[in-house]
Amino acid sequence: MARIAFAWELGGEYGHVMSCAGLAGGLDAHGHRIAFMFRELRQLAMIPEARAYDVFQAPRSMREGEGMELPAGYADIMLGCGFARPAEAAGMVGAWRSLFRRWQPDLVIADFAPTALLAARSLNLARVTYGNGFFLPPRTAPLPPFRFDAPVDLARLAQSEAAVLASANAALARFGAAPLARLADLFDGDDDFLCTFPELDHYGTRETSGYWGPRVRFDRGTEVTWPQGTGKRIFVYVKTNLPQLDALLDVLVRSPHRIVAYIPGLDAERRRRLADRRRIVVDRPVKLERFLRECDLLISHGGEISAGALTYGVPSLVFPTHYEQFATARRLEQLGAGGWLPPNAQHAQVAHAFTQVTTDPRYAANARTFAQRYPAFSPNEQRRRIVARIEALLRDRGAILPTTPTPTGKPR
Amino acid sequence: MARVFFAWELGGDLGHARRVLAVAHGLRALGHETAFAFRDLTALGASDASLEGFAAPWLAQPALPNASPLNASEILLNRGFGDGQGLAGALRAWRGLFDLWKPDLLVADFAPGALLAARAAGLKRIALGSGFSTPPARDPMPALRSWTAIEDGALRTLDTRLLTGVRDAFARLEKTDAAPASAAELFRAEGELLCTWPEIDPFGPREADYVGPQDDAGDGAREAWRGERRPRILAYLKPRDQRFAAVVGAIGAVAGEGIVAAPGLPAPHAQSLSTATVRVLGGPVALAPLLAGADLCVCHSGPGTVAHALAAGVPLALLPQQLEQYLVGRRVVTSGCGVMVAPDAPAPEFDAWLAQALAQPSLRAAATASPLVGRKPESAAAWIAARLAQ
Repeated sequence: MARIAFAWELGGEYGHVMSCAGLAGGLDAHGHRIAFMFRELRQLAMIPEARAYDVFQAPRSMREGEGMELPAGYADIMLGCGFARPAEAAGMVGAWRSLFRRWQPDLVIADFAPTALLAARSLNLARVTYGNGFFLPPRTAPLPPFRFDAPVDLARLAQSEAAVLASANAALARFGAAPLARLADLFDGDDDFLCTFPELDHYGTRETSGYWGPRVRFDRGTEVTWPQGTGKRIFVYVKTNLPQLDALLDVLVRSPHRIVAYIPGLDAERRRRLADRRRIVVDRPVKLERFLRECDLLISHGGEISAGALTYGVPSLVFPTHYEQFATARRLEQLGAGGWLPPNAQHAQVAHAFTQVTTDPRYAANARTFAQRYPAFSPNEQRRRIVARIEALLRDRGAILPTTPTPTGKPR
Repeated sequence: MARVFFAWELGGDLGHARRVLAVAHGLRALGHETAFAFRDLTALGASDASLEGFAAPWLAQPALPNASPLNASEILLNRGFGDGQGLAGALRAWRGLFDLWKPDLLVADFAPGALLAARAAGLKRIALGSGFSTPPARDPMPALRSWTAIEDGALRTLDTRLLTGVRDAFARLEKTDAAPASAAELFRAEGELLCTWPEIDPFGPREADYVGPQDDAGDGAREAWRGERRPRILAYLKPRDQRFAAVVGAIGAVAGEGIVAAPGLPAPHAQSLSTATVRVLGGPVALAPLLAGADLCVCHSGPGTVAHALAAGVPLALLPQQLEQYLVGRRVVTSGCGVMVAPDAPAPEFDAWLAQALAQPSLRAAATASPLVGRKPESAAAWIAARLAQ
């Protein structure tokens, strides 16, 4: 069986960990050995099945974002995460190489992990990318900007890319590897698991061999049934640091709708405000499989869950907290299947947007139309197919033996 | 020969990396194998590509750390060690590195997580540092600011909070039996090696093995005093310190000849600050040849520079940037060998401050009579190798 290393290097929260854990579970069930090389390790407590895996710290920069303006493209992100300083980039590539050389993966699965991809390349390791559109820019030279809310200074972005390419190539040269002709070549590997839909791709629809659909899990969490009543069924999944949390709670409390809220760490006072027979505050992630079928609206920050809800025909109201979520929110808006609120939205804006998405039937209709385009999408089937594709790659590479055909006659 | 794993986990200065790399170099020369887990990978990226380096596990910091920690336990709480869930993840990752590299010994330079993971794994440990990161292990853990009154109860509360988080982490890893029983135990190791001298130990002299600074005072660009004009001021400063420009200006006003080493300062900037009497350099310089003829050494009170200056009998004008340096500086001032501006004190008129320091004959007399004059560091690598042979 093969040794498979998951590398998660940039980004935050739970999405990367949960997605990697989902895929790792499928590979583990086939007997493969798993290592998690993660940026953040605290979230491991959420995935008890990972107890059997090897766990390592992903190399990261000491000075993330220091002196950087808002990133406008992938190169800006890399520049702010170690590649502004060739020695630091070389140290990070070296540390990934040390992990790979010692642990000896047959395959590296890179989830927003550009430095891990460089190191894997320098060691000629099999590697794939795994993530949504934001983590895998279209392979152009220069890489395209991802900002569309403000003009982008393309000359400045090109300078970023030149600096990052220079640091990357210096690191490759240090370890005796051939240079990249262009930064986009960093993403070259054995396959891309581009986990989104074209309509939700952060970079806009691109030429590609395939989209795999979003990385979501519907089969884990606590079973929750909707409260009795007549109002719309609204699932709220936000964080307590949402600046408009009180405005949102206020709007929810005044509405006639049925609410299930998962707001991790919500204080007692706010819980009391929400308390009502039409509203439930849950303390654990909700199992979404059946729950979403009856859901009329999702209120979230615009993570993968909003893409997942869309496959159930559920529209969204989004409070994006960073650019990746903002891009998702804008894509939902383009589909007519969601509204969003800027970080500085006032109470009246929250109330207005909420009224719109709960009264204008077009949001739900557009969400249903979208869902009908992908009637067969299933996260479990997506993972099964990715596992199958990975095993095919590993067989091609000779890392696992071909399946022995069952001899004719009686099956054993 | 043995496999020695070095860990550096906390503390921002590159002094940790430099010290560790120097000690490891010594151990390799003695035939041992080495590997590293560093908080900041820059120093490894600038070293020999054949060195085997890993990333030290990170902990998420609490939202509101106390900017003035009372004792070493609170420093660790500020760095996330009170969060059992987060610490359990980090300890697993340390364990992952130990399983991967299979060391015979851990040498920890401000690496409390590595020390804990090694304790859980039954791996032999040596704590290495310049004193501040290896505080005396007492109950309660001693106050960092001995000059302000702090009740033992307040210190014990911090110790308990830290211990609770650590024991929670051990419980999550099903290692409750190996969990430390007191906060003091967190800081203990099978060996403790202080790369400083008792006279400038930030916690005062103690029962421990002192070997002196491990950086070579001969490393760096070779510069020499050019003329006979006095006084000669040697400064070793960080260019990003807010006081930097004012201090360089004051050296120009007061010194017969001045040399300012400001590693990290871009060359054109260094050139523009240089004058007929003051040379400003953007990289490290070899201290030993310059200290030999210097009248005053201006620095941030890092233990290495202070030790080298006092070994050469040169008095000090100190501008500490943080608590560790301030504690070292207090020892220097108490011994009469230097003057100091505290990190939170208003900046003085630096011309007058330097002129006064130079005019005090007692400062020079104390420095030339310091017990540190002529004291030579011992090799930490040799000390560790001897431990390995035991």
